[in-house]
Amino acid sequence: MYVKGVGMTKFGNLDKSSQELCYEAASEALEDAQMSLEDIDAIVIARGDSVLDGERQRLFMSVISSILQKEDIPITQVMAACSGGGAAFWDAVNSNNNNILVLGVEKLAHIPTKIVTEDLMMAAERIYEQSEGLNFPAQNALIAQQYINRYNVKEKDLDLVALKNHDNAYFNPKARFYGKKITLDMIRKSPVVASPLRLFDCSISVDGAAAAIVTKQKTDIEVVGSALYTDRLSAFESEDMTSWQSVVLAAESAYKQANLTPKDISFSEIHDAFTPIEIMSYEDLGFAKKGEGKNLIRKGITKLNGSLPINTSGGLKAKGHPISATGVSQIYEIVKQMRKEAGKRQIDNTKIALSHNVGGAGSTATVHIFRNIGG
Amino acid sequence: MIIRWVSEDGKRKWLYPIEKDIYSHGKIIKQVSHKAKIIGITKVNIPSPLHPIIPYYVMLLEDEYGNRLPKKTMKSRKIGDVYEIKPATSNGAVIITKIKYDINAYLKESLNLLNSYDLNDDDKILIKPSIIEPAHPYQSVNTNPKILDAIICHLKEKGVKDIIVAEQSMLGNDTIASSKKAGILDVCKKHDVQFVDLSKSNFIEKIHDDFKFNIAKEVLERKIINVPVMKTHTQIGISGAMENMIRVVDEKTQKEMYTHDIEKTLPKLIKTLPGFLSIGDTTIGMHGNGPTYLGEPAFLNMIFVSKDPVALDTVFTEIGIFEMPNYIKIAGIIGAGNNITKDIEIVGDELEASKFHLKIPEKNISAHPNIELIDGKANPYIFNSALKSTAKLVGLLGSKMQLVIGSHFTEDMVKGKNRLVAYGNDAIKKIKDLGLNVVAEIPDDIDDIEKLMLIKSILENPDKTKLDAKDKLFSKIGKIGTKLKQSLN
Repeated sequence: MYVKGVGMTKFGNLDKSSQELCYEAASEALEDAQMSLEDIDAIVIARGDSVLDGERQRLFMSVISSILQKEDIPITQVMAACSGGGAAFWDAVNSNNNNILVLGVEKLAHIPTKIVTEDLMMAAERIYEQSEGLNFPAQNALIAQQYINRYNVKEKDLDLVALKNHDNAYFNPKARFYGKKITLDMIRKSPVVASPLRLFDCSISVDGAAAAIVTKQKTDIEVVGSALYTDRLSAFESEDMTSWQSVVLAAESAYKQANLTPKDISFSEIHDAFTPIEIMSYEDLGFAKKGEGKNLIRKGITKLNGSLPINTSGGLKAKGHPISATGVSQIYEIVKQMRKEAGKRQIDNTKIALSHNVGGAGSTATVHIFRNIGG
Repeated sequence: MIIRWVSEDGKRKWLYPIEKDIYSHGKIIKQVSHKAKIIGITKVNIPSPLHPIIPYYVMLLEDEYGNRLPKKTMKSRKIGDVYEIKPATSNGAVIITKIKYDINAYLKESLNLLNSYDLNDDDKILIKPSIIEPAHPYQSVNTNPKILDAIICHLKEKGVKDIIVAEQSMLGNDTIASSKKAGILDVCKKHDVQFVDLSKSNFIEKIHDDFKFNIAKEVLERKIINVPVMKTHTQIGISGAMENMIRVVDEKTQKEMYTHDIEKTLPKLIKTLPGFLSIGDTTIGMHGNGPTYLGEPAFLNMIFVSKDPVALDTVFTEIGIFEMPNYIKIAGIIGAGNNITKDIEIVGDELEASKFHLKIPEKNISAHPNIELIDGKANPYIFNSALKSTAKLVGLLGSKMQLVIGSHFTEDMVKGKNRLVAYGNDAIKKIKDLGLNVVAEIPDDIDDIEKLMLIKSILENPDKTKLDAKDKLFSKIGKIGTKLKQSLN
């Protein structure tokens, strides 16, 4: 399968409804693909269907049917929390249709933080985790603590991840933190959310939508690997909390399909919901040996000018994390980079890219590998 | 306590109480531990509706089998410390237990943490659930049949043979019909345990502080296990361990307890009764406009256990972040139990780590949006009757009116209300004493259908300032018509 076009709204605090955001992202993707909606024969949409987002809207597929005036094709919805976008893309790649529009959308910015916290907490286990105060920062803090203590990762390593992603977002007009300079000092002085995680270790919940058109017709970008794995909901259930089996398995499968190894990856969009998770993911994706992920950030390897740029978009950390839209927006960034349309954040080597999208604390993971065959 | 359900070969572990290994079809072994090491801890600084008080901590515990469990705490602890729950050292302790799916195991654990509560083969046990009206278990109006089942299983495991389950529903409701719908009779049948309708019991008079209580004979002759549902209560704030014992006395006593102010007489009843164990069923629990079906399930997944019903209710008040009801304060003053939170020994889960904002009951709420219920601590018969009448009128649009019930209301409570209906003898007398005008007086002794027809005629007619002969005639015809229809059916 191939990617023919991508689109995305700006990520941030947006006035439009979810369907209007989808309309905007889909229009851009269709224009990018030089296609008409008439050419689309299936739509897969990722959205959380939150009861707390103020929209109170279920059966969102039909809302999309209405706004797109599209009544003659199958439209399905994927709910996989933060991995919704990746899962929708996986569904599209593995479907039998010719041209599939993949959409991801979420509206979160207008909801008070404590309500968003509660809403996102619903992706943690109800009795064992939610009732014991494990919101997402707390859950990831406990994982980070295990990882940091076992592999001697320093707080300043986490700071470097935040700084790198903010530096990249500075150049991304669609990012929440576009044009906003964040310094190491601001990161270090930010308040503790759930120890050891500070505010700048956490991604930011925003509104946004992203779209991608997957097609059987050959284009400049080929999807050479596509994998989705599901693990248990509670991170503390895994034997090794410092490695997410779903990510390891998805990566192995995607590399195998692509007949590639981690060394072949030119750049990557990683699910940096929390800064330590980015470093942990370097290892789960095979970019570094276990416990050595920290060296990639310390040596600047994953910066824009490094040998393996990670999160050139700014990542979830600084581009923003509109839950179900994130996975599709990662593909937007990969396409823009491969087509040399990334402006000031453009990198040189864009031959092979990998996107990594996770729901929960390693509960669902998707890994996609793309080959730039456009030159 | 950490529990895992493990396959016979030890290859797989489940967080959930499954009965059979889906892979090998073999048996499941329960792995239980009571001691764990703290392997991680995070201090959380962001609140959420479920966890409104910050900062709090979440520990990551790991037991001897490598099984892990996150646990909320308000105390700062160190990685490497041992986490263990020690049994109670005082008789008035309250055990707080957050249930992790397995009600039987966590109930057993809670009872084991009690200070000196022994069960003997020859004990005669009376389990007193809370079954106030016909409602399904998921509505959380009545005691969850699962917890009753767990209690009976535990008693049988301890060798206890003589067990009865006894209750009488809220006055005006049928106890057997309520217990059937609540799933309680099924549990009794399953365990071959007799269900006793306490309204048909023999009663023995006991006097405390000049107040006469006619208490069911069985209650005085047996060891009591009180199993209230922990709920909010529009009349008295909360209903829990103390309130559930109102229904061990006869109808006459219940009515008199309310006439003489339930907030004062309930603590006296608790002091009159022999000591009893309370197991506060908060497996679901209720908040909002309880204690009837107008409340909402709270999904709390907890059990409270105590030999002091006042302490247990105090703990529930704290957990829901409610204002302490008067009757609990009075109970503390007269020595019926301990209502001073700092003096209550808490065992199991921490009180502060279990708190969250439960919805408080609304004022003057009835089942009908246009009928205010101004409650002067009416007895359960009148309270129940008023709620039932207003429920039957739902769907009928009308004009604002007020039903006044009970006798403990003040002039301020009815000030500015111009469509008052005195509902029940206590309210009629009080309204007369206060010299207030009402649209109608509806006494206790007229038929429920007549009551309903009279309220309906006021609700439908915004200009009505007095019931006339025509209204009264129509209500009688309505009653006859309904009775005729019932007899034909």
